[in-house]
Amino acid sequence: MSQDTKIAEAKIAVQPPSEAELPAHRPAALPAPPSFPIEALVPRAGEQTQAVGQRVKRSDARAHVLGQTRYIDDLSFPGMLHAKIKRAGIAAARIVRVDTREAESMPGVMAVLTGREIPVNAFGPTLQDQPLLASDRVFHAGDGVAAVAAVTEQIAAEAIERIRVDYEPLPAVFDPLEAMRDDAPRVHPPGGNIFMRKTIRKGDAETAFARAYRVFEGRFSTQMVEHVALEPHASIASWDANSRLTVHSTLGRISLGRADIARTLQLPINRVRVVATIVGGNFGGKNEISQEPVLALLARKTGRPVKGVFTRAEEFTATTTRHPFIMEYKTGVTAQGRILARKVRLIMDGGAYCSWGETTLWKACILCSGPYNIDNLHVEAIAVYTNKTMAGAMRGFGAPQVCFAYESHMDDIAAALGIDPLEIRLLNVFEEGSKSSTGQVLHSVAVKDSLRRAAARFGWKEDRP
Amino acid sequence: MDISLIVNGETRSASVPAETTLLGLLRDHLQLTGAKLGCDVGDCGACTVLVDGKPVNACLMLAGQAQGREVLTIEGLADAGALHPLQKAFEENAALQCGFCGPGIILAAKALLDRTGDPTDGEIRDALSGNLCRCTGFTKIVQAVRDAARTQRDAAAKRAA
Amino acid sequence: MKPFDFIVAHDSDEALAVLARIGAGARLLAGGTDLLVELKAAARAPAVVVDISRASDLTRIAMTEEGLVIGAAVTHGEILDSPLIRRWAPAVADACHSIGAVQTRSLGTLGGNLVTCVPSMDGGPVLVALDALVTIAGAAARRRIALEEFFVAPRRTALRPDELLLEIVIPKKSLGKPADFQKFGLRKGQALALVNVAASFRVGEPRATFVEPRIALGAVAPTVMRAAQAEAFLEGRTISLEAMREAGRIAAAEARPITDFRASAEYRRDLIAVLTRRALENARARAQEA
Repeated sequence: MSQDTKIAEAKIAVQPPSEAELPAHRPAALPAPPSFPIEALVPRAGEQTQAVGQRVKRSDARAHVLGQTRYIDDLSFPGMLHAKIKRAGIAAARIVRVDTREAESMPGVMAVLTGREIPVNAFGPTLQDQPLLASDRVFHAGDGVAAVAAVTEQIAAEAIERIRVDYEPLPAVFDPLEAMRDDAPRVHPPGGNIFMRKTIRKGDAETAFARAYRVFEGRFSTQMVEHVALEPHASIASWDANSRLTVHSTLGRISLGRADIARTLQLPINRVRVVATIVGGNFGGKNEISQEPVLALLARKTGRPVKGVFTRAEEFTATTTRHPFIMEYKTGVTAQGRILARKVRLIMDGGAYCSWGETTLWKACILCSGPYNIDNLHVEAIAVYTNKTMAGAMRGFGAPQVCFAYESHMDDIAAALGIDPLEIRLLNVFEEGSKSSTGQVLHSVAVKDSLRRAAARFGWKEDRP
Repeated sequence: MDISLIVNGETRSASVPAETTLLGLLRDHLQLTGAKLGCDVGDCGACTVLVDGKPVNACLMLAGQAQGREVLTIEGLADAGALHPLQKAFEENAALQCGFCGPGIILAAKALLDRTGDPTDGEIRDALSGNLCRCTGFTKIVQAVRDAARTQRDAAAKRAA
Repeated sequence: MKPFDFIVAHDSDEALAVLARIGAGARLLAGGTDLLVELKAAARAPAVVVDISRASDLTRIAMTEEGLVIGAAVTHGEILDSPLIRRWAPAVADACHSIGAVQTRSLGTLGGNLVTCVPSMDGGPVLVALDALVTIAGAAARRRIALEEFFVAPRRTALRPDELLLEIVIPKKSLGKPADFQKFGLRKGQALALVNVAASFRVGEPRATFVEPRIALGAVAPTVMRAAQAEAFLEGRTISLEAMREAGRIAAAEARPITDFRASAEYRRDLIAVLTRRALENARARAQEA
């Protein structure tokens, strides 16, 4: 903002009473409230300059540095209770019995909830295979099996320890390749563990392999990753006198979340209000509901607002993670390194629930050929259940995993052929008008130019041995 | 257990269970929610406050350990009338994104600058190594601390002159 | 955490009186950075937590006739700031600097690190390499033992239920002895040691030889261990880089690492060989500076 458009500083001054004016028994005056210059965040009307290139302060910066930003766990409501969820601790089991009597009788425990009390105990963006609280079966060790609302967090934590659950352990499967076998334990019986398939067929890969100078194979795998947003999942549910539910939540997709809350609680959607505040990191991990319907039911039972905040351990065991992938590549090339054909098999480990697995599988499938012109492509992508913490959305949705695979594979091919890794990419990479793996015509393609400029800038040629 | 301590320059008292942490005292009993609960085991630093000038994980300190001590939280950093140079520098460098790590990191940086007026980048990173940030990658945070250090040195030089 | 009572002990006698009265139901809190983590995960709470962080006789760093005395409740931060330690046992400061992060070091104590007694502790190896002793106080009497004997097993020290660690003593003969500490973690801060090594020796005259070499290894045995064979190899030998390398190889062979989710035994052995050699080289450099 230029000097002459700067708004004059506004000062709020409060003069505290002097010592002489204070009656003897009064406490000392509070310090004067802070006075900060009020700076407009936008230029004045009529003085608008070009927007691009302007230096603008983040609108949240002031509140952040003052520590005034209110995240969900910073909010408190009169009469608010604290909820805790009991986690299964066993990867696969039938729930025989849930005994909450001892917990219910504890002083300070105001309500207890089990899965059977949830009107529609299933949600999910594609397949509604995830319960809010496990009721008949446990699908992974982080499944919630019961919940408690108490006057303090400490009492709630003690109460869930006093809930007794009888399990009939079932065989569990943790490895996706094992899970694909016909004789594998079924994570979600009666169906098998393969819950989705995607394929891409472009040209004729098998025939093209026969023409190749050489065919390379590689197998790559990535691990399960947790977002570790610094702020844990947190929500507060409360009802008003007209049976309208308000949920304050760290939830990211609030329209979708609102619909899920309404559906699982069998409420008309116009009776559900979701308030999302500044979130302390999401990265995809807060893309779906987790405890909101549970807290809502506890709030309805008690007539009081109920807050639930996940522990860091729950962040790892009971919230979505990044999908592990096993990626098998077969690529046929000319002697110069031009790709003639590529065949890819992707095995996506979904953990216990589908969650955002369809989106992830799609992206991985479409992107696994890399940004390279490949006329003959055959991709088979398979999503598999295992009895582990569910995988879901995490920045990239399948792209980072396959990127690791196709770029490593490219480097391996370059090394084997004795070709510079940059040159082999320049030979194959997308250009203006190139077609993607699914036939999309691409425009504004800057890859070659970017690669060349980057190489020049950090001395690619000079540093090569 | 009754406890009395000086928080941001004011004497504050509370009656809390003995197992209450300093973090719990600040957030739940004194309504100072700037210090955050990120992990509860002293790994992330989001709960960092200054006790007698030293940065501590408030989640790993019992309220009773803070009896009679001086505690500075993020709410006490700005003077009436002006942001602390660190707060200004963090704002101007857009050093924070979600902001959750902010209060802890700013206070850890303050403790550093109170001891060392001209820290090297290595010293800055060492001083912040107990504070995790999942959004930013730390580059602008380190830049902001550098800027704040320079601002403070310039102000001290002006006063001395 | 589950409920417990909280008592402040103004000196070690008060703390011992509580231990005598309450026994195993009492836990001592010096810094709390280990204790509170433990209590947050514990199935049962102690009856009482006794705060010794401000006990008058546990918080001193002093030079005495016996040597350099460090109270059990001295924090890592205070050790880093202590001119006495920087002058007479700088490797102890290096070891404390490698623990946790600045927040941990503001509260956490060297004594607490020793009493928690995990195999990968960072406070132990340098003190062992300096032949440190510990003073243990009981209700009736005090006793002094070598630090090496203080470590019995993972999470178990020689303390009896009614005793507390009073002080750590770096004996006079070890003051100013060139020493170095090496730690390998998966990152530079807030890191658990995959392995750590401390080495010390004096330089013999007139030929530069290893005199009283000590090599202490961490995270490769249930407790801190001395690499006795490597020490015997070095004793009296002319100082050379090749001798240091060979000592590293011997130390790696006599180490007893396990394979766990952090590292394989083979990798730990490799690290011991390298870190031992580095610690010896740095100790040599310190001797030359002096």
